[in-house]
Amino acid sequence: MTITATMLSTTRRRFLKGTGAALAASATGSLCLPALAQAQEITIISNLSNAGQRDILHRLAAEYEAKSGAKITINNMDHEAHKTAIRSYLVVGAPDICFWFSGNRMKAFVTKGLFDDISDLFARENYKSVLGATTNAVTVGDKQYGLPMGGLLWGLFYRKDVFAEHNWTPPKTWTDFLAFGEAAKSASMIPMSMGTKELWPAGGWFDHMNLRINGLDKHIALMDGKVQYTDPMLTPVFDKWSELIKAGFFSPNHSSFGWEQAGAALAQKKAAMMDLGGFVRSAFPEADLPQLAYAPFPEIIPGVARYEDFSVNSVHVPANAKNKQGARDFLAYFYKPENLGAFLAAEGAIPPRNDCPPSNDPLVNAAVEELKKVVGTSQYYDRDTDPDMAQEGMTGLQEFMVKPERRDQILERLEKTRKRIFS
Amino acid sequence: MPRFWRRHRHWLTPALFLLPGLILFSLVILAASVETVWISLHEWDGIGAKTWVGLANYAELAEDPQFYVSLKNNVIWLLIFMLAPPIGLALALIVNQQIRGMRILKSLFFVPLVLATVTVGVVFGWVYDPTFGLLQLIFGLFGATAPALLSDENFATFAVAAAALWPQIAFCMVLFLAGLNNLDEDLIGAGRVDGARGWRMLRHVVLPQLSQVGFIAIAVTVIGALRSFDMVAVMTTGGPYGSSTVLAYQMYEESIFSYRFGYGAAIATVLFVIMSAFIAWYLHGLIKAERSNA
Repeated sequence: MTITATMLSTTRRRFLKGTGAALAASATGSLCLPALAQAQEITIISNLSNAGQRDILHRLAAEYEAKSGAKITINNMDHEAHKTAIRSYLVVGAPDICFWFSGNRMKAFVTKGLFDDISDLFARENYKSVLGATTNAVTVGDKQYGLPMGGLLWGLFYRKDVFAEHNWTPPKTWTDFLAFGEAAKSASMIPMSMGTKELWPAGGWFDHMNLRINGLDKHIALMDGKVQYTDPMLTPVFDKWSELIKAGFFSPNHSSFGWEQAGAALAQKKAAMMDLGGFVRSAFPEADLPQLAYAPFPEIIPGVARYEDFSVNSVHVPANAKNKQGARDFLAYFYKPENLGAFLAAEGAIPPRNDCPPSNDPLVNAAVEELKKVVGTSQYYDRDTDPDMAQEGMTGLQEFMVKPERRDQILERLEKTRKRIFS
Repeated sequence: MPRFWRRHRHWLTPALFLLPGLILFSLVILAASVETVWISLHEWDGIGAKTWVGLANYAELAEDPQFYVSLKNNVIWLLIFMLAPPIGLALALIVNQQIRGMRILKSLFFVPLVLATVTVGVVFGWVYDPTFGLLQLIFGLFGATAPALLSDENFATFAVAAAALWPQIAFCMVLFLAGLNNLDEDLIGAGRVDGARGWRMLRHVVLPQLSQVGFIAIAVTVIGALRSFDMVAVMTTGGPYGSSTVLAYQMYEESIFSYRFGYGAAIATVLFVIMSAFIAWYLHGLIKAERSNA
């Protein structure tokens, strides 16, 4: 009888909470801990797919544990799965610290009141003075809701040895670019390695062409839903893109694999270039890394200033965290220049702080130098526009890359979605 | 208390035994279904407040080309899955022979049932891979190039459903094997006395006794085809460009990626209605069989 009585009083949510707590307790082993005089506990959910970064996070956590006596639990999730899990865990069962993306994606949770305002931490540690303009990436209405992590400068990557062997130079103009594609094909290589199974690489390619043709302001207006997808300003973008598709620039069957496999094709010299961020390095064997080099996306219309996708990841304290003070204290330690620098070096990302030790990674240094020449930045297609629009949009762009002749139907469909979401 | 118990136990005992199951069922299945229908009448991002929109989600669904693609793919799944019961029956008849080594063969046919569907999906994904897959190796032997099944809008659904068919056949085979073990020896003996052998024995003596098992196999296969989700998620994520989605996957994508729980719930409700038709037919068949046995 007691069983049924308790079951009657158990609502679904309580049941979930109970099992969740039991699972968490058994996972961390905290059940067997005696009530140590309020031992601080900090839980972190990370989405790091880079093993080197995970190791450094664990090392920093262990150092902090030894220093402060707090107990830190790190739960690492698969990067893609985390994107869906965060929506439920921010509401029920929030950790004290979580990894996410700055800009619009962060804002979506800020407006729902799910991220804690950490302006106090910014003031305490005087972050604005070392972050400069990067502060904007985590600011909503004059308040800061996260700490910016590494920045990814998107562009074309290639192997120096391959380029030297064929006597190629990175294409600078549209004519160069078309000629380069022909040269790569005659060397039996795929000009542009691309894997669109996870959709976003198609969105990135669209960004880069649109930024080169229409510039930043018009691109952002489109991302904000203020320009129609059927607008004539996009005609040259899709005309030129069709030209590339029809000329066989991109990997065949690109919708059946993801960026890792496309990156491997670049590393194995089957493809000449690839449009990605610095994390393309993880597709390369250690010994081949010195060959990897960066080149900006070529100019398409002369006179359009240089704008790039520069996406900034971020770390947040959920509004429902239990130990918000502990989270702040650990973040302050984690965000020290030397710690942050080591953490970001493993990913090849650009440090947001200007006082991080100079990197000894030539790719990072090249990106830092390139960034100085960039006039303005957007983040990335699926970080700049509404998530619902991004899903439809990237699906449509992938379809366009396979069936360029369906362009008008696709754009009309996207326009319908834009109207539904933004009006 | 003892008197009360004695007087009422004829209904109290079964009620108590049923209670835990009933409570779980009503909580996890019934309440969740009702809530889904309720959510489908709202616009909701999963976190914030719900806005009542009435039947707007359904009206939009009726005009959504993606919805018809999913529906069409569900029909393709259903048709392909209908191959499972007959192939399963054939395999069951073959491996049911008393031949040396048949046990090994039988256990080999069991293998796909042991594997998680996700594993099956990943393995078939590799088989289909146009650069290093087994399919390409086979085509390569003949000097041909294998089609990239999973990135071709015309083939993707067939390729995924074919992969899912493999464990489904094994499942049907197990059902029929169990059925074959329960055959009435007397009837078979009587048939033999009357001179029935081979095909006639199968057609007129064995198959009629398997009709109930066959019914269950078909019903379970239909439901399995309609709720297909995991293979699509693992092998194509609905792609290329949504051409291999099924209703269950579209529901997931709308809710989780596009943050449209109301719209996702509307898709779930439509799927529920389609499934209820089959489930009602299934229950009707079960009850009829039970009555005729009693």
